[in-house]
Amino acid sequence: MEFPNLYKGDYRLLIIPPLLLILISLYFIPQIQLGVDFKGGMLVSMNLDEEINGEDLQTKLIDDGIDADVRVFDTAVGPKAEVEVPQNENLVRADELKNEFNSMVEEVALLEVRSINNASAMPEYQEKRVELNAIANEMFDLGGLNTRAELIDSVNELQKDFNDAYNSVYSNFETSITNTIDKYVEYNSISIQTVSPRLKAHFLDSARDVVILSAVLSIIFVFLFFRIIVPSIAVLIGALSDIVIALGVMGFFGIPFTLPSFAALLMLIGYSLDTDVMLTMRMIKRKGDPREKAYDSMKTGTTMTGTAIVAFSVLFVLATLTHIPTYFEISAVALAGLIGDLFATWGINAVLLLWYAEKKG
Amino acid sequence: MDTDTLLKDKKFLAIAVLFILFVAGIIVYGKYSGLLLMFALILFGTLALTWKENHIKIAGLAALLILSIANMAVNPMKFGIDFVGGTRIPVVLEKPVDQNTMGELVDTIKKRTKVLGLTEVNVRAIGDDRIYVEIPNSTEEDITFIESTLSHQGVYLGITDGEIAISGEDIYRSTIYALTGAQLQGGADWGVGFSVNKKGVEQFTNVVEGKAYYPLYMFLDRPSDVIIVLTEDEAKGNAGEDAPVGELTESLRDSLRLENDDIELYVIGKDDLSNITPKTNKTKAYISTDAPEDVRGLLYGSGFEVIEFEPEEMAPVYTPSRQNKMVVESWEAVGLLSSPTLSPEVTDGTSNYRGYIISGSVSGADPAERAKQKDENVKKIESILKGGSLPVQISLGSKTTLPASLGKEFLNLSLIGITAALVVMSLLIGIRYMKVKIILPIIAISITELIILLSLLGSFTIDLAAMAGIIAAIGVGVDAQIVITDELLKKTGQSLMDKMDNAFAIIKMNVIIAIVAMLPLLFSDLVEVIGFAISTILGALLGFLLSRPAYAVIAEKLLGKEE
Repeated sequence: MEFPNLYKGDYRLLIIPPLLLILISLYFIPQIQLGVDFKGGMLVSMNLDEEINGEDLQTKLIDDGIDADVRVFDTAVGPKAEVEVPQNENLVRADELKNEFNSMVEEVALLEVRSINNASAMPEYQEKRVELNAIANEMFDLGGLNTRAELIDSVNELQKDFNDAYNSVYSNFETSITNTIDKYVEYNSISIQTVSPRLKAHFLDSARDVVILSAVLSIIFVFLFFRIIVPSIAVLIGALSDIVIALGVMGFFGIPFTLPSFAALLMLIGYSLDTDVMLTMRMIKRKGDPREKAYDSMKTGTTMTGTAIVAFSVLFVLATLTHIPTYFEISAVALAGLIGDLFATWGINAVLLLWYAEKKG
Repeated sequence: MDTDTLLKDKKFLAIAVLFILFVAGIIVYGKYSGLLLMFALILFGTLALTWKENHIKIAGLAALLILSIANMAVNPMKFGIDFVGGTRIPVVLEKPVDQNTMGELVDTIKKRTKVLGLTEVNVRAIGDDRIYVEIPNSTEEDITFIESTLSHQGVYLGITDGEIAISGEDIYRSTIYALTGAQLQGGADWGVGFSVNKKGVEQFTNVVEGKAYYPLYMFLDRPSDVIIVLTEDEAKGNAGEDAPVGELTESLRDSLRLENDDIELYVIGKDDLSNITPKTNKTKAYISTDAPEDVRGLLYGSGFEVIEFEPEEMAPVYTPSRQNKMVVESWEAVGLLSSPTLSPEVTDGTSNYRGYIISGSVSGADPAERAKQKDENVKKIESILKGGSLPVQISLGSKTTLPASLGKEFLNLSLIGITAALVVMSLLIGIRYMKVKIILPIIAISITELIILLSLLGSFTIDLAAMAGIIAAIGVGVDAQIVITDELLKKTGQSLMDKMDNAFAIIKMNVIIAIVAMLPLLFSDLVEVIGFAISTILGALLGFLLSRPAYAVIAEKLLGKEE
């Protein structure tokens, strides 16, 4: 197959489409929805016996006091529904209480032991114990446990009951939702994913660390390989634009930002560099007419991207058939990034390199 | 190259020998087949890269391919519960822990759930205060068993004279400490101190009153409703060949006594086994893998739930007491971990609220060796008192069950997806190059990569993320082959070697960057997507080390002649 050589005329114009795309993407990036992984809350996924009306269910749940977001899908393995419930205040508070309790409990236990041996330590123990009791009582209330911390003799037992109360905060929250769902929906299997505020924060922290490390390592290696500033920067701009476009698409189409889509974005760093590197190597390390080299590279590069697009399209079709979120998020983000890569590599990176080569040569 | 020359080629022979060793390893050590395959991948790859001979490159890839197929044939592939159905139980920790502690926790939980035998239980950390326990293909009974194992983990019991003297719930965990030199008394070399709440002190005082020099049998997770059947050799433990079995079994029985829940002991050849019946329909019989088959059959027949242990776990360790009687010091199968002797100071009936001390001495003259022993003893006693190697308390969250039928459909659809990806990709390459000579090798190499990846990842666990990674690897893996093909087809007048070097310069860099970008994810604790990182990285590595060089050899042969 032969395409006309895009770089024959005023190739600088080629930069316009990717720039437009990037601008549009920048507008949509703030609209990216966080998935349960990064937002916290609860996601109930059900495989249904028969189709239901999602809006209807959502209204019913909201009437019952559950601020739910209901999505219904028809998949190759039968209808499926997802109910997402945002982070509940009780859960947030329970996590805070657990932190406070854990930061105190060892000290109070030691004081208790000392006070048994030595009456002079008693006042201090009692004072601290009152503080600890207050925290525990709030947790007992949250968890609906019918007990008072004052009635519990030793700190050991208090700790045990406290943990029980913490767990019932979560299980009460889950059962209150599943019980309500049970009233309206018949399902053959149900899976519940609860992400606590703590876990959410942990995921966010880890993801941030991974992204920073991944970006820094990639930048270092790109510079190490090329050892020339302009091409290195061109390669990195190409990759960055690619990620920006992928993020924009996520915002536009409502693909949630979750752990799988995050993994796909990371893969895009490596993958978008693939074609960028191939192009740059050919442009700077070989002799010949720059425009011909760019055109040649484009033929190779689009085939490379094409095969990857094919693989991820298959995954995407699979995702729409099964509605497995992991498949959907990875394939959708990868597809967006790969299509973005076509624009970014051949519109931005190639143009920058041509400009550099022709200016130098 | 004909067979004779091949057989005389030392490098080829080396690959062949390694290959045979790996096959043996995969068959004998099925558990480690994943690691073996990974090692084989790196080894063959490095050899192919350093030796550079064309036939070695092909041989390396072929060897790895056959290994992978053999592995799939011998060892069953493992899939996550998304693909086979099963149950996921979240375990919530009492407080967040650091990575080392998390590692310990995961290991301990793995060990505890291992008792299930056949089923592969998957234990993994989520964040720093949660662990997922996944049981594929689980039955209702398996789940109940695991739930109870997990929720009753690490129960400490100190038993003296068949009565519970002290139980873990009464010990203040934060008061457990190692004694320093100045605090040690009576010639002890090491010591661990701890405090007990009021109820605990009273119970202890009552139970041990007047029992000076009795052993305090310290158990972790002492099994309940169990009988134990030993061979005579096992009963002798470390006491030596000539030890009097009668006396020893008396000591053993003493250590197994507990009001209402004695563990009954039977020694094969000494006790009559024909008439024992299980107390309940849940009574378990512990027996070693070395025990005669007919005994096990007998126990099955009588309605026991037979649980097998390694002979080392079944054999008790004795230590001589002050009266030179053999006392059971530890006995792994029943969770007896240590048996310190009660000092007269604590057995006079007065309540001691200042805390207790467990101390002991070490043997040997070498100071380094002594220090090591002291340290080990202290750590062991500390961990027993804290309720085992679990450094924090755990509780169970609400479980999720995925039906097996649904998982199977997901798996089928995914496998269809992989095939579809291959077919469509081949079509695309076909249209691009329009030459069977080019298309066939590319597809052959892609299929090879796919088989190796499936076999490798299947030795660990293929979950949704890993499956997505495999499909991605197919699409991305073919890239390098396109680069090679395009370089070779170029009419630049360069030599074949130069063209190949050009191609590999690009490929090397692509692979390194793809791996580098994914590596941080691999070492993160975002376990839900680590499968994706693993398959992407392995795919890239496999391509760089073996399949691209092999493809280059084929392409060189097929396309090189054209010019």
